[in-house]
Amino acid sequence: MKLSAVKPVGRVLARELAVTALLLAGVSVVVFAILYFAPGNPLHALGVREAEGVASTWPGQYAAWCAKVLQGDFGHSVRTGLPVLPELARVGLNTLYLTLGALALTAAIAVPIAVHAAARGDTPGNAAATIAAYVLSAVPVFWFGYIVVYVFIHQFGMFPLISGTATRQQNAWLYSLVPILVLGTASGTLSEMIRHLREELSRVLAEDYIRTARAKGAPVWRHAFKEGFLIPVTEIMSAKIPFLLGGAVIVEQVFNWPGMGRMAWQAAQDRDFPVIMGIALAAAAFVRLGSLAQRVVFTAVNPRASKE
Amino acid sequence: MRRYVQAQDLSRLPLLQRADVLDVLYVGYGLAVVALVLASYVIGALGWLPHDPRAIDVALINAAPFTPGHPLGTDFLGRDLQARLILGIQAYFLPGLLAIAISLAGGCVLGVLAGYRGGPLETLVTYFANLVDSFPRLVLILLVIAAFKPDIYYVMVVVGITGMPAIANLVAGKIAFLRQKSFIEAAHALGLPAHSVILKHILWLNCRTVLVIQATLGMAEAILIETSLSYLGFGVQEPTPSWGNMVQAGANYFLQGNFWPSTAPALAILATILGFQLLGDGLNNLLEGKRRR
Repeated sequence: MKLSAVKPVGRVLARELAVTALLLAGVSVVVFAILYFAPGNPLHALGVREAEGVASTWPGQYAAWCAKVLQGDFGHSVRTGLPVLPELARVGLNTLYLTLGALALTAAIAVPIAVHAAARGDTPGNAAATIAAYVLSAVPVFWFGYIVVYVFIHQFGMFPLISGTATRQQNAWLYSLVPILVLGTASGTLSEMIRHLREELSRVLAEDYIRTARAKGAPVWRHAFKEGFLIPVTEIMSAKIPFLLGGAVIVEQVFNWPGMGRMAWQAAQDRDFPVIMGIALAAAAFVRLGSLAQRVVFTAVNPRASKE
Repeated sequence: MRRYVQAQDLSRLPLLQRADVLDVLYVGYGLAVVALVLASYVIGALGWLPHDPRAIDVALINAAPFTPGHPLGTDFLGRDLQARLILGIQAYFLPGLLAIAISLAGGCVLGVLAGYRGGPLETLVTYFANLVDSFPRLVLILLVIAAFKPDIYYVMVVVGITGMPAIANLVAGKIAFLRQKSFIEAAHALGLPAHSVILKHILWLNCRTVLVIQATLGMAEAILIETSLSYLGFGVQEPTPSWGNMVQAGANYFLQGNFWPSTAPALAILATILGFQLLGDGLNNLLEGKRRR
């Protein structure tokens, strides 16, 4: 392979990395600005103090704050006194498990429905399915959570509220599937994923090159796979990460799930700036990482991406 | 005389003839919900409630609907659910309008800058959109709550700002499409000032349906955020009702099998958010002729 053919892709990926870095810098500015303008000087709690030789102007404070954050020093929790970063890493894994599980579940439900709808076109069941999707996306997650909890307690004699806690029982992982089920089906993500995948796949199936493939007897699915399936799936999954993280705040509250969302709730209750700041930064980093992964897939499967 | 209409000329048909039945139903349901919310808001604001929403009646705790005197039942303190549901609208109505106003105003300014001037400004607006998308909205709101105070108007400012990029994108796209049209060229050739072209010919005459649609979708979003926050305990506090804190208050009884006190406000949330969403999507399909992405 000629070097000139490789180069553009590398350049595109470098550009994506730069964009991600730039956006993370923007994220840090937003978080800093909120802390800077907040009453009660929350930056003090984070150890950015004039007494320690930090300039009193905002660029100086931002630089000092950034240096601390980049070194992994997110300060100590106001409530527990523990350093924030290890705590964040501990509960972050639980949230990662919850959100990625929910994402996988949503995709597992959405993909077959969307593919079927795109391949078969309009069927009488479609209108009913559309309305059902609308209703499902408007159901308040917390209420849906209660219904599921109730059903599990009274029908299966299980108590999914203690999922994920230290008291590991037999089949504890089964309980942990319940919050995933709630977050994966009732946060409005499901219907949007179905809609997006269906639209994209229908659009691609109507393209000329698919007609050509069909005409010459080539496998249609192999031709439609990249543009009609792989790109939309990664696109919608990365776009839905922030929604799922937001939904996790509520689902973790309902199920007493020891994750970042519950921690964020507790921190907002106590005005625990270091913790909520760390969670906001971690969540934004997670979102940008998902987006970067999506761009990598997009660049890898789309030869045009390197020429744009 | 019969009119022959070709497929491309579908837009020449009167609105109701080319409409999808489903879309008309969506808009009808949505308008009914909006009317009900508006009427209930006015009733609540004027205090014309069927019952005192704070009157406690220990003899009638968690009453089922259709109890004499309490058509929608009572909550865990025997307070009338109908009155509390009506009063709960106060918690999101004006804050929601504030969020919509901020989104629309900011989104229009950004959209016009990006679409009309283009170039680096367009890049900047895209950057802003990606930046806003980086934060889970609820986490950003909790950060603001922790840093400032749990005030619904602060929250709605955040909701409004985070709603800007979507509107900016729509307006910018619309402008990019309109710029090729001869009437905009003609307006420029006639020497109309830029602000007149932008405000009248672009925003008012060509973007207002899009903006109304976005406003209804924005209200759905605002209700979702307000009810979630008051469920989490950061919104309106007891004894003032909000649909979110009513669901939360009924939760313990829900798990014991007393579904109604928690379910009534949850159904109100469901029906209302659904109404605003269907109104927005239905109008979009009818007037703009395309599905929301």
